[in-house]
Amino acid sequence: MAVPDRPGDDSWKIVGRSIPRREDAWLLTGQGCYIDDVPEPSNTLHLGFVLSSEAHARIVLIDAEEALALPGVIDVLTGEDIARLTRPIHTGFLLEGHRDTTRDAVAREKVRFVGEAVAVVVAENPYVAEDGVERVLVTYDPLPAAVALESAAGDDAPLVHEELGTNVVLESTFATEGLDEAFADATRIIKETFRTGRIAGVPMEPRGCLATTGRAGEELTMWTATQIPNIVKTALAKLLGHPESGIRVITPDVGGGFGTKAHFYPEELVCPALALKYGRPVKWIQDRREELLTNIHAREHIYTVEVGIDGDGAIVAMRCNMMANAGAYSSYPFGATLESVGGVRFILGPYHIRNYGYETRAVASHTCPAGAYRGTAQPTAMLAIEGMMDRIAREIGIDPAEARRRNLIKPEQLPYTTAVGTHYRTGSYSESLERALEMIGYEEFRTSQPPDRLVDGKYRGIGICCYTENSGMGVAAVRARGWSVLPGFDGALVRVASDGKVKAFISHAACGQGYHTSFAQIVADQLAVPFEDVSIVVGDTGLTPEGTNTFASRGTVTGGGAAVRACLVVAEKMKRIAAHVLEVSADDIVIENGVAMVQGVPDMRMTVREIAEVAYSLTSHVMPEGDDYGLEATDHYDAGMPTISNAVHVATVAIEPADGTVEVERYVVVHDCGRVINPMIVDGQIHGGAVQALGEVLMEELVYDDAGQLQNATLLEYSLPTALDVPMIDIEHIQSITDENPGGFKGLGEGGVIGGVPALTNAIADALAGIGANVNTNPLKPSRIAELIDAALESR
Amino acid sequence: MSKVEVRLTVNGAEYVRSVEPRYLLVDFLRRELGLTGTHIGCEQGVCGACTVLLDGQTARSCLHFAVQVSGSEITTIEGVSAEASLSPIQDAFHRNHALQCGYCTPGFVLTTVELLRQNPSPDETEIRRGLTNNVCRCTGYVNIIKAVAEAARSMPTGEG
Repeated sequence: MAVPDRPGDDSWKIVGRSIPRREDAWLLTGQGCYIDDVPEPSNTLHLGFVLSSEAHARIVLIDAEEALALPGVIDVLTGEDIARLTRPIHTGFLLEGHRDTTRDAVAREKVRFVGEAVAVVVAENPYVAEDGVERVLVTYDPLPAAVALESAAGDDAPLVHEELGTNVVLESTFATEGLDEAFADATRIIKETFRTGRIAGVPMEPRGCLATTGRAGEELTMWTATQIPNIVKTALAKLLGHPESGIRVITPDVGGGFGTKAHFYPEELVCPALALKYGRPVKWIQDRREELLTNIHAREHIYTVEVGIDGDGAIVAMRCNMMANAGAYSSYPFGATLESVGGVRFILGPYHIRNYGYETRAVASHTCPAGAYRGTAQPTAMLAIEGMMDRIAREIGIDPAEARRRNLIKPEQLPYTTAVGTHYRTGSYSESLERALEMIGYEEFRTSQPPDRLVDGKYRGIGICCYTENSGMGVAAVRARGWSVLPGFDGALVRVASDGKVKAFISHAACGQGYHTSFAQIVADQLAVPFEDVSIVVGDTGLTPEGTNTFASRGTVTGGGAAVRACLVVAEKMKRIAAHVLEVSADDIVIENGVAMVQGVPDMRMTVREIAEVAYSLTSHVMPEGDDYGLEATDHYDAGMPTISNAVHVATVAIEPADGTVEVERYVVVHDCGRVINPMIVDGQIHGGAVQALGEVLMEELVYDDAGQLQNATLLEYSLPTALDVPMIDIEHIQSITDENPGGFKGLGEGGVIGGVPALTNAIADALAGIGANVNTNPLKPSRIAELIDAALESR
Repeated sequence: MSKVEVRLTVNGAEYVRSVEPRYLLVDFLRRELGLTGTHIGCEQGVCGACTVLLDGQTARSCLHFAVQVSGSEITTIEGVSAEASLSPIQDAFHRNHALQCGYCTPGFVLTTVELLRQNPSPDETEIRRGLTNNVCRCTGYVNIIKAVAEAARSMPTGEG
């Protein structure tokens, strides 16, 4: 049931307001401090990596003589050299059917994808490091490569990891009881295969890191452009054999992540290893070519979906067979399971599907490792199920919106547990669909849409996506996925200083989400202090409590939840101190806007500052009996299983028949992420995600040739959306508050892209449905659409 | 490698440094002058993160050698507003949530300075066209377009 925000719940005053962001003050004026802006000590060494030009080859010889002869080149190290300083990267994964692979930080003996590091040049400045890289001569003995997904899964494919005897690095199956019988009862069966192309997150800032050592090498500090500083810290301790208590990982301002920076990368191991070796600061800054060649890729998926429906178009049984290209190595910390397991489990979306079975495989190939990119497998999984909804509608002659109505989980069915065991506590599946259709004028669009879809010389179509978004994974959720190196909980330390100003240290890392603002809104409300009095620290393992950090739409649920709980402890202590000084019961104290007062006796009051002075023994008052000095609390919050957000995206498109170009004309979103902390920030996340979806559907694709060469590792050839490509986006919010976490929050960082990919694809499919084209392969670049149009017109 | 003298006026102050002839303008600004608000996104002139004003015109600082532009006047993001204040354009970006990670933002602000100088009251299409040289991966451009429109409305003609 959609629970409206409790009327009369006035405890949230600052939460819910579109407060312009605090971080803008430094980011707008050039005062941001990204990884390449962190002041580097004058004796800093700079690294350049020699990248493999071969997809699969034996390394015969690495000749560093010419590089070492360059003035300013200090050293050239091979994989063997680095292996003496580090342990291989290994996730130690705990999931049945998963075959974990191990990766050397710098390749030894063999390379397994173009871009894998084979040597590292150490130099006095970055220009010389690049000069050195160009002068390292590597001789390879090329081997046949397994590149494309289906061929890499074949029996005769070259093996990426010979010791496994197969390229299938994950196999998993599931079926509810009686699935075959349910299919036998179906009136009709519809089957389709959907293919999606390989893409990447492409944050505007590539990666980089700077490692320094102090106190005879005991203390290691690393600045790195990551979303997961705590995970990096634990990994470094293990892989360097260095005491974790001596490692501090700091994320400066990070120029976008989108999941791609939620992985631990080899350079993050090499930098500190060499800082320890040389006893000098060591820095590496990635360039765009390296970013596209080596940062995590995603979305090379194939889904074959079979639905059995009844006479009304309700799904009575469904099977999904999925394959995902996992690339050359298991990613750390997610292994090779992220997309392949996610896809078949997320595909149920907001639909009532009781009989379900899946088979899924992750397939290793001689390509860049795949992993987390915003939405992980959810955009493609929803593409598949929403594509099936449109096909159900076509099959039985009903409107696509009606096919969804007949399959959505109904309000009275909540709380709801899906066929794969995911728990949906609250949501607004039908309500958000109806509102989105109303906003875009769906009925009018359909009424005026001619059978051939041609309006003013263009094919015009409308596409819908109803989706759910998994968010806020806690310990049980990461264990269920087999992620042994992810803790699952997050932490917050809330400290009131003696002047009454508050600082909250939260185990997340910002890369554009606005944490300095939205977390401050939560803390200000929970402590009942002015927003201006609260500041936030994230992204520094030396200051924040332990935690699992920022990916999979976890931030507000897990970090916000920890903050709410820590604030509660601090607020209770403030009340006890005020009650003690004012000689009343703590139950009689209320705190509002930074002042504690006796309920009904507003003259009996103390400011938070005065309370803090008592806590820090700066007045003649003593502490209440049983209370220690200080005014702070730390909480480690475990959110358990995921919290489920939902939304509906509807888009209209116009396709130019002559060249297949697509214009997105209208775009509406009805979004439900529970309690909205800062609507302006939430809307910004939706905009950004939807436009990444636009890129994913219309233009983005990383193209490998058969030999495993990436054909477009530049931004000239990997197209990203620009200001000319995007629609304006109308957004409304529904707030189905959940009681699954202390704040009633649901995550939302990925939803824009999850909803956008199916909505835009279905709009194009709808526009081309009039001429009988079947759209089942993304991306839909103009050339591809032109082919579809030509083929459809020819076959008529 | 031998060095050459480069003389630049940056944000109103004159600087003279000796650098290698191959030293990029963006590295000169960032590493020699410590003006790290100009960012490197692609080193190919595609993304616009390194946009500065070179003698009043937007330019990619990753595509110029510092020595090539010796004697020029450069404005970087640090020179757009007085310390601890926001220009009308920056303020419009702030109020409209036209930035998220902020990495592309200095380039967008400088592009907008030029855009509004050339066309003080652009319509939406003109704004979109004016921004196509800069890539943002976070905002989806929606709020940037709104911010530029609002900045145009709020600014007396010619003010940057």
